[in-house]
Amino acid sequence: MNTVPLLEMRGITKRFPGVLALQDVSLHLQSGEVLALMGENGAGKSTLMKILGGAYLPDGGEIRIDGSVVSLNGIREAKRLGIALIHQELMLAPNLDIAGNIFLGNEPRRFGLVTPLSRTRMNAAAAALLRRVGLGLPPTTPVSTLTAGQMQMVEIAKALALNARIIIMDEPTSSLTAGESQQLFSIIHQLKQDGIGVIYISHRMEEVLMLADRITVLRDGKYVGDLDRAGASQDKIVNMMVGRELSGHYFPDRPAPPPIGHPVLVVNGIIVPGAPAPVNMIALRGEILGFAGLVGSGRTELMQTIFGVTRPLGGVMTLDGAPYRPRNTRDAIARGVYLAPEDRKRHGLVLPMTIAQNTSLPDIRNYAPLGFLHRRKERQVAEAGVARLRTRTPSVYQKTVNLSGGNQQKVVLAKWLAMNPKVLILDEPTRGIDVGAKAEIYRHMAALAAEGITILMVSSEMEEVVKMSDRVVVMRERRIQGILPREGLSQERIAQLMTAKVARETAA
Amino acid sequence: MRRELGMFVALLLMCGALWVSNPSFVEQANRFYTSRQIAMLTIYAVGIAFVIITGGIDLSVGSVIGLTGVIVAKLSAPPPGMRLPLVLGIGVALGVALLVGLIQGLLITRLDLQPFIVTLGFMLLLRGVSQTIALGGNITITDQQVVTLSGGGTQTTHFPALTHYMDLVKGGLFYVHGTPLLSWPVLICLVVIGIGGYILHYTVFGRYVYAIGGNRDAAEYSGIPVKRVETLTYVISAGMAGLAGILYAAFIKNMDAQHGQSYELIAIAAAVLGGCSLRGGEGTVIGVLIGCMIMQIIDNGFNYFRIGNWVPNENWKAIVNGAVILVAVILDRTVHIVQSKRRTRRAGLAAASPQPTVEVVSPGAA
Ligand SMILES: Nc1ncnc2c1ncn2[C@@H]1O[C@H](COP(=O)(O)OP(=O)(O)OP(=O)(O)O)[C@@H](O)[C@H]1O
Ligand SMILES: [Mg+2]
Repeated sequence: MNTVPLLEMRGITKRFPGVLALQDVSLHLQSGEVLALMGENGAGKSTLMKILGGAYLPDGGEIRIDGSVVSLNGIREAKRLGIALIHQELMLAPNLDIAGNIFLGNEPRRFGLVTPLSRTRMNAAAAALLRRVGLGLPPTTPVSTLTAGQMQMVEIAKALALNARIIIMDEPTSSLTAGESQQLFSIIHQLKQDGIGVIYISHRMEEVLMLADRITVLRDGKYVGDLDRAGASQDKIVNMMVGRELSGHYFPDRPAPPPIGHPVLVVNGIIVPGAPAPVNMIALRGEILGFAGLVGSGRTELMQTIFGVTRPLGGVMTLDGAPYRPRNTRDAIARGVYLAPEDRKRHGLVLPMTIAQNTSLPDIRNYAPLGFLHRRKERQVAEAGVARLRTRTPSVYQKTVNLSGGNQQKVVLAKWLAMNPKVLILDEPTRGIDVGAKAEIYRHMAALAAEGITILMVSSEMEEVVKMSDRVVVMRERRIQGILPREGLSQERIAQLMTAKVARETAA
Repeated sequence: MRRELGMFVALLLMCGALWVSNPSFVEQANRFYTSRQIAMLTIYAVGIAFVIITGGIDLSVGSVIGLTGVIVAKLSAPPPGMRLPLVLGIGVALGVALLVGLIQGLLITRLDLQPFIVTLGFMLLLRGVSQTIALGGNITITDQQVVTLSGGGTQTTHFPALTHYMDLVKGGLFYVHGTPLLSWPVLICLVVIGIGGYILHYTVFGRYVYAIGGNRDAAEYSGIPVKRVETLTYVISAGMAGLAGILYAAFIKNMDAQHGQSYELIAIAAAVLGGCSLRGGEGTVIGVLIGCMIMQIIDNGFNYFRIGNWVPNENWKAIVNGAVILVAVILDRTVHIVQSKRRTRRAGLAAASPQPTVEVVSPGAA
């Protein structure tokens, strides 16, 4: 095709204090094309897209739409030009309903007012858009009641309401169920048919290989190259992203678990508030116990109960044979039970504090034998964590609010890995993390397990569950559907249980 | 620390301008007076800073200051006071202050009430308590009681303890021209700054305070006793207000229900000027001190400022006070933006390999 591209970004440069986030980056997009943008955590993907969405001004470079130079001076301007950015963290107002969100800042008015009459028009228009994205809900549904996947659909409807010609999706599937992701993919195909250009950011290789017409790779804020759908393969992409051969296996080899394990955590008849049935399970020393299930299947709630965030309505737990009744997270931590939460911004990090301060936070008494903080130790531990997971940051004194999404996740993990757990709960440990660091995290988990630490791993990535777990607890609608041993473990077997209608009790 | 530095420069500029306009601004009498005012303000502003850094707010401190003063006067002053021992008066006053802080803290953390509304309630309620104790009138703290005898003569009783108490705000160390260079309130304030700064910046408790202000949920997940720490900050704030209240009472002497009104707003403004964020998670003790100095010097400097023979109209005082605060914050913001732009540029130069920029079109300039 030799037409003028829908979008062209040329020589884009962006600096933050102490960081050169983008350096001379170029990118182009045709209408009806899906372009995947790939790169390690902190490579500059989100920054580039925020520039395109008008959220940041570039320090250099030019942007052309339909061949003519535009100045994307603010989000409103970008929207006016038909560019819609769906952020890594969804940005909907939970207190408004769907229609209110779709038309937020763009309300149909009468004499400059949002009148009851325009409200009716708004609902009708919203209903039409919801049909287009295949969301069968009334436009007056409050957004706070939606699942992550439904919110994603609302975001897309919002973009369509603006007559967007370019839709940017920054890690859209990271909090979606498999089914919801499928639905998103079919909407993306629909958008292609309508001639909309889509820029798609994801760390999930299969998705990218399936969806993208072309792949643009960034590394350390620089443009590395483009790959066509035909010429792309997982290995090629990874090499371009990482800049070196990623040697060895992706998943570490794990020794077979001993036939009879030593029980560490015993959960007996625990009733999680809101769950239909009590939960029974045993976690053994040195094992990685995977938790599979759909988003909302009750895995996170169960973990929060074990960690003392919520108190069970009944049942007993024992830890190393002694009764374990955590009244709060402090009790849990005191007994050596740690949890790295899935929602890093809400539960994982104190954003205005530095990496060093965040790393020491849960274990701070150990940094202050006499109540006086030992700053050098704090720095050393934090630096070890940064080096281990290759967190991209100028120093450990960088505030975590300035890190890229994946690098924030690495800090959350590093902070719990720095301690000496007995039971380590990892809730979606690799969400939003690039391939290289993922392999590092897997290696680390395997090493911890080999040391005798029990790991409970909640994950929505099937491959991870299958490859890493010694046993897999499958949950559905807040009950345990079954516990599968490593032998004969397969994605199909797990998926079958995850969605099965009849509860099948399988002895552990 | 950047904000603190900027405000310190602003403070120096203000002092310089006042000195040039009226040399008597720096005379010992005014130095003594102003430093004492700053000290008393700083004592309770440091307390309120603990609350502000956790992301809370304490509107009751002015009323606590008033109440402690009224209690001391009621219990220990001559009639209409009760002439009880001064130690008892001060002890009860401080105890009441701490108790008020504890109740507020427990209400806020255990019942999950909003700090603004709880402390607003206490601000109004304690005002009423002071009013009731003072019986709507006033009680004067004085060290002598004059009784008219039936024979027509008078008899004067002296209370040495009260004399010492009132000397607390007059005396100090290193006298120059009859007034101390370091008054007792200033010394007390330095101790408060030392201990407060140490706790906030070098102890686990201090780190907890910042973490809670930065992200309460993440603090909870890190096993921090969030509720206990938060409650304690309200106790600290009210306790410091009580301490300041005792000094203010010795200074003002004439205690009525209005005493201490709107002091909390001055302390909050000082804390924010000094770099505390009302969103929580930010602030330093040194910053609070600088903020307090600015607030008091604006207040005091107005009386000194003149250009030649021209003296500003007394009625403009509130306008000037407000304007100086706003200008300080606006300047700070501007400097911040300029600085971070410069730092950004430098980072770029350091990191970028020498490469010609191809037709740079800055959309921002268009
Ligand atoms: N506001 C900011 N201040 C300072 N540095 C920033 C800021 N925003 C981003 N950065 C830095 O810019 C770089 C690029 O970040 P960006 O968010 O674009 O990465 P990303 O490719 O989206 O990564 P991820 O896959 O982790 O989401 C990172 O090193 C990050 O630390
Ligand atoms: Mg990103």
